[in-house]
Amino acid sequence: MDAFETALIRLLPRLRRFAHGLTRDAADADDLTQRAAERALKSRAQWQPGTNFDAWAYRILRNLWIDTARSRQRRDKVIAPVEDAEAVGAPGDAEAAAERLFLMRAMDRLPDEQREAVALVMIEGLSYAEAADVLEVPAGTLTSRLVRGRQALAKMLGGGE
Amino acid sequence: MAEPIDEMTVIAWVDGELAPAQATRVEQAVAADPALRDLAETHRAMRARFAAAFGSIADEPVALPSAEIISFAERRAERTRRLWVPGAIAASLVAGLFVGQIQRPAGVTDRADALALAPDLARKLDTQLSGEPGPIRVALSFRARDGAYCRSFTATHLDGVACRTAAGWTLRYAAPGTASGGDYAQAGSDPAQASAVAAMIAGEPLDAAAERAARERGWR
Repeated sequence: MDAFETALIRLLPRLRRFAHGLTRDAADADDLTQRAAERALKSRAQWQPGTNFDAWAYRILRNLWIDTARSRQRRDKVIAPVEDAEAVGAPGDAEAAAERLFLMRAMDRLPDEQREAVALVMIEGLSYAEAADVLEVPAGTLTSRLVRGRQALAKMLGGGE
Repeated sequence: MAEPIDEMTVIAWVDGELAPAQATRVEQAVAADPALRDLAETHRAMRARFAAAFGSIADEPVALPSAEIISFAERRAERTRRLWVPGAIAASLVAGLFVGQIQRPAGVTDRADALALAPDLARKLDTQLSGEPGPIRVALSFRARDGAYCRSFTATHLDGVACRTAAGWTLRYAAPGTASGGDYAQAGSDPAQASAVAAMIAGEPLDAAAERAARERGWR
């Protein structure tokens, strides 16, 4: 186990949590996490020592998801998605799983770019600068996506309007 | 009274993103204004709710993909064999080499504290210009993204990219030499070396004049 693999293993649980935020589906999140880990191992030569490893790995997972979501959008035009399938076998106790499912359904209704900003800051706890680094956007862009996402979620979860 | 505080600023305050002076200003404004207080509370509660709902996921251990570990170990063993058969001779060029490093993947190294170079090779890197003939040939010189001067070279049994750090020339990439193979007479023709350079380089390689100037400055 070298330093690279150690860093990746340490980060994997958080990558998987980020994957939950992006995919809003426990099974998809597990699959995406494994594929991101494989990709990171294969691409290890591209990681620049001295740069932020976490941001690099988050970026790999996020870019894989963009590819997946794009191809899935085409598929879903033919096959309707199975609603709430992830409630079965979701991690944690039933109440926590139900709460998470509820929040993931709310995140479904956000545009992709707002959802990923919300997931990185509110779920992963990244700073604005770190989140902007992962998404490769200017800090101002990250902030405005985050604020719009938060406003939309506040409306949905507040039950009003 | 300063300019009114918008929702973006309140959210940034909740997220701990404001500088101390601005944070104090928002804190005072929130304390004085019930509408701002509600807004701040809404965003604080929402953030806490997401963190609580998803937080436990990160407590669950995740294994590296198992098939990948095997194939990765195999690839690494394969690369290790490729490097360290000629590497016995390459070792004479590289100081600070010890058995533990044989376990490391060859090719592009992923560590900043990569091997220090032997004095003999380091001297050539100090003085020799790109394209000059000799047992060690420098293919090109360039500035890396971290600002260091780096040089890709081909020695008899070792191709590499070394960068000048405070500690001297440090090997950032190494592969078995291609120069003696006949098929690859051109220094710098190893595609893996080229991609290592491409991953490190900032801008263009140095031209002859810039290279001489860098040499005058001791590659600092």
